[in-house]
Order: sequence, then C-alpha cells, then structure tokens
Amino acid sequence: MKPQRWLPSALCLALPLAGMAWAWPTGLSAWRSASILSAWAGCGALLASLVLMVRDPRLAAALGGLDSLYRWHHRSGTVGYSLLLIHPLALAADALDESPRVAWQTLSPLAQDWPEWLGWLGLLLLMAGLASTFMPHLPYRRWRALHYLLGLGVLLGLAHLWAILGGSLGVLGAIGIALAALGWRLVVSDFGALARPYRVKAVRHPATDLVEVTLAPCAATLAATPGQFVLAAFGDGEGFHGCREFHPFTVSGIGPGGVLKLDIKALGPCTRHLQGLTHGVLLRLEGPFGDFLAAAGDGPQLWLAGGIGIAPFLAVLRSRLPARPTHLIHLFRNADDAGFSDEIQALAARTPNLSFVPVASGDSPPELGPLLAAVPGLAGREAWLCGPPGLNTAASAALREAGVPAEAIHFESFEFR
Amino acid sequence: MMKKLFISSTLLFSLSVAGFWLAAALSPESVGQTAVAAPADKRYSLQDVAKHTSPGDCWMSINGQVYDFTAYLPGHPADPAVIQPWCGKDASEAYRTKTRGRPHSPYADTLLPKYRIGELTAK
Repeated sequence: MKPQRWLPSALCLALPLAGMAWAWPTGLSAWRSASILSAWAGCGALLASLVLMVRDPRLAAALGGLDSLYRWHHRSGTVGYSLLLIHPLALAADALDESPRVAWQTLSPLAQDWPEWLGWLGLLLLMAGLASTFMPHLPYRRWRALHYLLGLGVLLGLAHLWAILGGSLGVLGAIGIALAALGWRLVVSDFGALARPYRVKAVRHPATDLVEVTLAPCAATLAATPGQFVLAAFGDGEGFHGCREFHPFTVSGIGPGGVLKLDIKALGPCTRHLQGLTHGVLLRLEGPFGDFLAAAGDGPQLWLAGGIGIAPFLAVLRSRLPARPTHLIHLFRNADDAGFSDEIQALAARTPNLSFVPVASGDSPPELGPLLAAVPGLAGREAWLCGPPGLNTAASAALREAGVPAEAIHFESFEFR
Repeated sequence: MMKKLFISSTLLFSLSVAGFWLAAALSPESVGQTAVAAPADKRYSLQDVAKHTSPGDCWMSINGQVYDFTAYLPGHPADPAVIQPWCGKDASEAYRTKTRGRPHSPYADTLLPKYRIGELTAK
C-alpha cells in the first residue's frame, strides 16, 4: 500500500476543526466565543498529537513513517498547548467589561473550584512536560518520565471538560479518543504486548564501544528489509540484566529464518550497558519501521554514512552486491571506530559497482567539499544519507551546492524525542 | 520553530496573567459595589417566577432571592439542557449541588448579584 503522507497533517487539522464545529458558539460575546473555540481547537490538536504517538508498524507504514508521525505529533502538541493558553485569558478578557477585579476572579484559581483546578493543573503539567521536550540534553529516562506528564495533563484537561460540561457526545468522544490512544501506547507500544520474542545468538565487538548482536526468533519473525529499523528491549540472560526499555536500532544484517543483526553503539546509559550483552539473552522486538533505501532508483548512487549510520548500507551489502554504480563514504572519528571497513572492502573487491571510501575525520567536523568533489558524476547520483542530524544537514547543503537536486537527496531524521 | 512557539506563547501567557492581576490590584472598585445593582425592595412570589420559563425570558429563585438570567443563559458554561429546565423554578438545591453534589464556585457567587431583581416572598 502506498503511504498516505498527507494523512498526519490532515488529522492535525481535522480534529481541531471538528471540535470547533461541534462547540460552535452562537449569540455570545467575541471573547467568550474565542475562549470556547480555542479550548476545543486546542483539545482537538492534543488529541491528534496523542493519536500520532501510537507506535504501530502498520500505521506508521500507511502514514509515511514513524519520523513523520512524530514530527506531526510534536507540532500538533505544541500548537494545541498554545491554543489552550488562550482559553482562560479570553474568559478573563470577557469579564473586563464588568471590571478588572471580576476579570481576575474569572482567571484566579483561588476564586474557582475543583473543576477549574483540574484545568489549571492539566495546563501546568502540559507546560512542564513540553518544557522538558525541548531539552535535548536531558537524560533519556528523565526525559521520558517528564514526557508522561503530557499524557496526564491531557487527561486532567478532559476531566475539567467533563466536570464543566457533563458527559455530552463531544466530551465523551474526546475522552474515548484520548484513552484509546494512551492505552494503545502504554500497553502495546511501551509495555510491548505485541512485541516478538528473540534471543541473542552471537555477540562480537567490531569496534570500540560497539557491539554487534545476531538475533534468532523464538516464535514469529519480523519481516524486515534492508534500510529498516526495529525497537528492541533487551531482557535478562546468563550474567546479564537488560534495561528492558525499547530503543531504536537499524537492522544491519538479515539472514534466513528471520535472523537479524543489530549494531549497538554506546551512546547512553542503556546502550552502554548493552555492550556487555551475552549469548542467550532474551529480548523483544517491535517493528519493522522505516522505508530508507526502499525507493532507490536505477541510476548511480551515493551513500554517505556517519558512524553507526553505516548500518542500513551494511544491511543492503550483506544481502546483495549493488547492481548499479554505488559510491559509499563512511565517516568516523578514529581508526578504532572503523568497525566494518575490512568487511566492506572485501565486498567492494568482488564487484566493480561498489567503491568504498572510509574516512577518519578526527574530532573536527569532516570536510565534505573535497570528499564530494572526488565522487565521479556526483550531480547525476541519487544521494542517501545516514548519520547524526548535523551531518545530514551539512551534507544536504553541500550536495545541493554541488548540483544534486533536492529531490534526489534522502535521509531519515531518526530523532524520536 | 516549535520551541520558539512554546517559549513565546508561555511568555505571553505569563505576562497576560500578571497583567490581569495587576489591573485588579490597581482597580479601586470592589466587586460587591458594582455587582449589586438590583433594587432590594422588589418582592416576587414563586407564581411570579413561574411566568418566566423560556430561554428568552428566564427567571429563577435561589436562596430567597429572585434572578433574571435571560441575559446570562448563553454564557453559562454547561450544556443549555442543564440550566434551561430551571427557568421559572426555585433552583436553590440545583445551585448548591449542581445536581451532582458539588456547589458552584466562589466566582459564580460573585456573578449572582448582577442578575438579582428582588426578593422571594414567603408564600
């Protein structure tokens, strides 16, 4: 099925519009109408944000990928929060005709009762949760715990709505959508109710702070293709206790019988702990997600990988040698990080279609200009980038400058915070 | 982009809340003085109240006082089906319990005098 990439944005527009249409005020003052409309538009945007955080492989594939869903989840959540801020202010502005004191009493929680306190508490939780969302350097576990405040904030906001308006159709519909989306996310995605059980079959360390695990299915397999990623939650095994939380890893190899390879770089507390993985450890996998490299054309290719971003290209090369001219540049810091250079060199020796350029760039940003200038027929190549966001952005700009059309440059953001 | 929206909207909201508080603090009037506008000597019976039962002409008695809520009805936060049936009736119990065992807020109490039109007679 062709992905319907317009659907996430349409949902972010449709739910606020539906909320406003349902609650459309008549015969009220302009400020009171603005208050009601902003509340329902904000509520609709937050509901869309909740629906878009449901992490289901089929849904993600149908709607254009998990990164697209998360991007709209972030946009809709922030816009919804901003709209909700208008709600109490517009109510207070409506009372300004009476007097500034009545306006303040309309706003002040001290003059209100618990139905209004629910609304205020919900708004404050949304404020705290969103503030943490914009702190990229917060440790992942603390960030995730604070992110849950957003779900709680939405539920308190809906409780406020129910306490004020009672169980009308619109209120019950909103509560139903929120509970279904949050329930799916917590039970199916975060708890992994539908995740597939796998077992670590082999472990090796191709480079510093990098472990490659070969996984064998214990039951049904995940039908992954090269370029896709899975979410893995590692459990226990002999002498190893896993962190049991789902983290995304790009598949770096696909074998017969559903065997998968993952390469895990030590980038945080959990992935550092995973460097000690042992044979036999049980894990659960969700996915597969993503369509990186799936739409690669028949023309010459340029693959540019930064660090562990080599994984999707490795998965392709391990499955089949390229049938069209492919130039692979792998950027890493030091020789200790190279990892797969010998393996890829050996593959390149077997086909004239693959040229491989490993580059140790040290601690300074790589100089992309000379590297790209050395690629034969660069402007006619389709470029696939996989690396840190900074590298993807810099490489995209350099490629466009070198004459590669924007539509021929592809990368996944792989940013799930 | 979203980070900028979050910061700017939160900042504007905080400044607006502070502005409302400051305006109230600097305002010389008291709520009671502006709100009590109705004549205190007008007296109505429940039969008088019962003649005003429609959304376009809605009286209620609450705790011994008579109110004309015609102008307020469109602004009531709850569904019209909750408040309109009380037009023309004594709504003291409904006001105290909101039909769900919880009272109206102190803010609602401050709104009442604005709509008061007189006292309820004993009979």
